[in-house]
Amino acid sequence: MAAMKNPPQLIEAAGITVELRRGGSGTPLLVIHSELGVPGWLESFAQLAEHYDVIVPSLPGYGRSARPDWVMDAHDLAAWVTWFARDVDLRTPVNVIGCSLGGWVAAEIATVAPQFFNKMVLVGAMGIKPERGEIFDYFLESGLTGLRRAFHRPEQSSEFMRHWGKERTPDEDDLVEQHREMTCRIAWKPYMHSLTLRHLLPGVRTPTLLVWGREDAITPIDSGEIYQRAIPRSRLVVMENCGHMPEMEKPAEFARLVENFLTG
Amino acid sequence: MTRKFFFFSEMGYNAYPIEALEQYGYSALLFPNSIFDREKARDLWQMFLREHEYASETGFDGSVCNEHHNNVLSMQESVNISAAVISQRIKGTIALIGNPLPIHDNPVRVAEEIAMLDLISGGRIISGFVRGTGIEQLSTNANPAYNRERFEEAFALIKKTWTVPGPFRWEGKHYHLRVVNPWQLPLQKPHPPIWAAGILSPETIRWAARQRITYLVLGSALDATATCREIYHEVAQEDGWVPTSEHLGYLIHTAVMDTDEEAYDVGRHHYGGASVIGRSGGVAASALTAGTGSAGATGGGPHPEWMAPPGYMSKQAKTGNMARERRMSEGSYEAAIRAGLIVTGGPKTIIQKFKHIIDRTDPGYLTFWAREGKKPHEATMRGIELLGKEVIPALREHQSALVTGEEVTPWPQ
Repeated sequence: MAAMKNPPQLIEAAGITVELRRGGSGTPLLVIHSELGVPGWLESFAQLAEHYDVIVPSLPGYGRSARPDWVMDAHDLAAWVTWFARDVDLRTPVNVIGCSLGGWVAAEIATVAPQFFNKMVLVGAMGIKPERGEIFDYFLESGLTGLRRAFHRPEQSSEFMRHWGKERTPDEDDLVEQHREMTCRIAWKPYMHSLTLRHLLPGVRTPTLLVWGREDAITPIDSGEIYQRAIPRSRLVVMENCGHMPEMEKPAEFARLVENFLTG
Repeated sequence: MTRKFFFFSEMGYNAYPIEALEQYGYSALLFPNSIFDREKARDLWQMFLREHEYASETGFDGSVCNEHHNNVLSMQESVNISAAVISQRIKGTIALIGNPLPIHDNPVRVAEEIAMLDLISGGRIISGFVRGTGIEQLSTNANPAYNRERFEEAFALIKKTWTVPGPFRWEGKHYHLRVVNPWQLPLQKPHPPIWAAGILSPETIRWAARQRITYLVLGSALDATATCREIYHEVAQEDGWVPTSEHLGYLIHTAVMDTDEEAYDVGRHHYGGASVIGRSGGVAASALTAGTGSAGATGGGPHPEWMAPPGYMSKQAKTGNMARERRMSEGSYEAAIRAGLIVTGGPKTIIQKFKHIIDRTDPGYLTFWAREGKKPHEATMRGIELLGKEVIPALREHQSALVTGEEVTPWPQ
């Protein structure tokens, strides 16, 4: 399977040891992952890797990437990502997919570094407080509850079952807790949003595709709609029968959407 | 030092209907405060304060106050207010066990309030500092990932506020103050005794030993307490000094009545989530069937993550030996009794049991947690009276076997 061919490497970049998954060839496609970390080489990565050089670093504090104490919010992660890109000689402007918390980070980059992105895909992005509904509070529930809630039908998702559905080892449980802790450092309060971001988005010139699962039980679609109204060249696509993680719950459909957007 | 004997009560809101606990399965954090009855709370306050007063009248050396938030476990949502009120009702020491430092965005405010307490009480304050439980972090929105850092920085700032003349500036990682210059400084010099308190987090014990401050063991079983003392002594030895009994406090559930049987019966009020600090979040209705009637309920509960939000508890604290010891001793009321988590008896039995406890742990501060849950006021007052008038006088002169090298007083069969 394509998924097995890409074990992560550890490299030195942007001041720390970084866990990096990379596969495929073609123009680079940077993926900024969610608060749940990168569980592996996803099916959607494998599909996108047929046409792109898919680059998935684990952000500081996630996976086996080191955790520097100075990374305390989404801006810090945004700056770090641009530093990472320079250190791995990533030619910019680059295409990017930002998932959930990673979407917030991507949006922050876009507001300050317009030359950094060519096209931007934001998937169930954090960063905006919805006007209707609330972002699910991971920290009032267990890690497992959050993982399950991120899917519309976890048991029917082969990606959920493969990575989070079986009995987890103590190491895997530790990783879930590690990710929760790092996410606390970044997004504790105001919870999962920036008071400033929505005011800066009208200045973003990057063509943007917003992708939301209709049944997203983590980040209300309303946030996506606010993003769409704020970013001038943006379009919101809602995927049916899909929760917070289209990149895992609907890999083929998601990959197609992204490819059409990037080539269109 | 001569051993000191204090009185403690969580002053919990025990007046909620049991059906509410059955419905929600927990009694903290999200347990809605629409259930809170203001008149009942007013009456509970008067009863609890009277019990502190009576402890002072019967011979206790002082009273202990605590702080919790969003929790029926304790109505003391400000330990400094509790201490202020109690200081005016009793003669002896007031020990705060204590101010949860990480929940404050301005630690200097904490320093100011303790200074006021110490001045107004005439220098009778012991100032305990704690990290707060997971529930405190969630209810005050203090980032649990930074809990230990915030604790240590706030501690350093408070100590500096008391000991270094102002004005000075503090630009730290978590706290930023441009003019630290309070006009209330504690009466005691250099400052009131500082305590650290914990529920078996090895890191906190080590930290307290490094600071050479008293570590108060909060209601743990006897073996676990002995382990805490060992850890403290190991660290002290590494640092080249020898702790005394002054460096250990022991808070211990105590039910004394006229007979062993009555005491065993009344001791059930001590069994339950409210009576085991650290388990007041995520409580289960299962304990109700154990007939405790105590404020809150114990057991796994639906939300153990409330007591351990991300980054709050180290893996060692969660799964290490001490955590295991704790779990083993909390399975049932009988198990709690066997492990010495709750100590019951008539006066003679209690005296012997506490001689055994003193022999094994040598705490300079023995705090009788003598009121809990729905224990009736009359039974509580009788227990306080027996402790104050019979038990404490008999224990005052007892030297620990750890000091004398003599045989440990046997635990009564």
